[in-house]
Amino acid sequence: MSLTHLNARGEAHMVDVADKPESRREASASGRIRMQPQTLALLLEGGLPKGDVLATARIAGIQAAKRTHELIPLCHALALSKVSIDFHPDVEASCVDIVATCRLNGRTGVEMEALTAVSVACLTLYDMCKAVDKGMEIGDIHVDTKTGGKSGDYSRASLDLADEAPMVAPIVTGTGQDGEVSLGNRCDIHSACIRVKCLAELRERLGVGEVSVPLDSLISADVAGLKAALKTLDPRFSRLDEGRILCAVNQVMAADSTPITDEDEVAFFPPVTGG
Amino acid sequence: MIRVQQAPFDVGTEQRRLLAGRSDIGAVVSFTGLVRDFNETPDVTALTLEHYPGMTESALEQIVMDAETRWSLEGVCVIHRVGRLAPSDPIVLVMVASAHRRAAFEACDYIMDYLKTRAPFWKKEHAAAGDYWVSERESDLIDARRWK
Repeated sequence: MSLTHLNARGEAHMVDVADKPESRREASASGRIRMQPQTLALLLEGGLPKGDVLATARIAGIQAAKRTHELIPLCHALALSKVSIDFHPDVEASCVDIVATCRLNGRTGVEMEALTAVSVACLTLYDMCKAVDKGMEIGDIHVDTKTGGKSGDYSRASLDLADEAPMVAPIVTGTGQDGEVSLGNRCDIHSACIRVKCLAELRERLGVGEVSVPLDSLISADVAGLKAALKTLDPRFSRLDEGRILCAVNQVMAADSTPITDEDEVAFFPPVTGG
Repeated sequence: MIRVQQAPFDVGTEQRRLLAGRSDIGAVVSFTGLVRDFNETPDVTALTLEHYPGMTESALEQIVMDAETRWSLEGVCVIHRVGRLAPSDPIVLVMVASAHRRAAFEACDYIMDYLKTRAPFWKKEHAAAGDYWVSERESDLIDARRWK
């Protein structure tokens, strides 16, 4: 693997794409801007002093995609056939997710255009809202998908599970993850595997939050078989038999005899105490 | 409407939202649960609520659907907070609207009883004496059995 923007002498240069065949290219990138809940509420109600924030940010993102070559030194000027910017406000997380998609029939990829569109849409959101919230934070900007071209299709979600696992939203909302570890080999994407979660007090007692168990290591393909396999993996799991520990398979309450199949999510937890 | 969130909620706002544009509702009953400064030990300084995203929402939806088959209801709002909360903070809101008061009173009571025994939330209390996970209460299980 080499960097195409460097020539044989290691100097930066613009890649000559004249001889590359044209193909349909598409790329999506996304980013996130976090803000105070009140700011998001104002944004959604249209109550901000500068007016319609999302419409303005959308135009800014589209304009930016078209001018990427003026900003990024070695980018080609491209005749984009499509630029779309979508906003997904998330009230619970108090943020707005921005997704930009660019497309063209051409000789070079459009991921830089998608990334630029997301970045400038985020900056515009900041500019439009900064009168009421200066602490907003822009982040998580990345390419989600890229299709067409010689280097092949790319999808962020198709990366190895082991890389993705820490990105999964934490089960714990709040504090108290001290000492949490993952046990055993994570199953790779091609082998049948069960994802096990231990929640709340059980996670803290075991010191284990998540563990993957190969399906073929189970004596019987049910919850009882999984418990036995976990105990073989680590004696700490004998705690699964202490007191009242409940179990859910794919987020539905389950018993020892509940069958388990590939890709199931199994959670163990103590009796619930909400309300 | 069912929401699990870290942010506080406002009962007045939620009630206005539930009743907006409705003239067929004759009764609305709401229950708000608050953080106490004493529970299993005195001097509780904070509470951390953990949940199981995904299952929490579907468990609450099931409880509300069960209530809707039992009583004739015109609107239900359930909000449960997660994360770190301080004494006197609101934790949970159950608001039920119906044509007549009895259904609203009973369904609100029913939803709270099942929320406490079926929805995957766990409380950890931070007190002067240290941190501990709240244990399940026999009385909550007995309360939920009233509806069988």
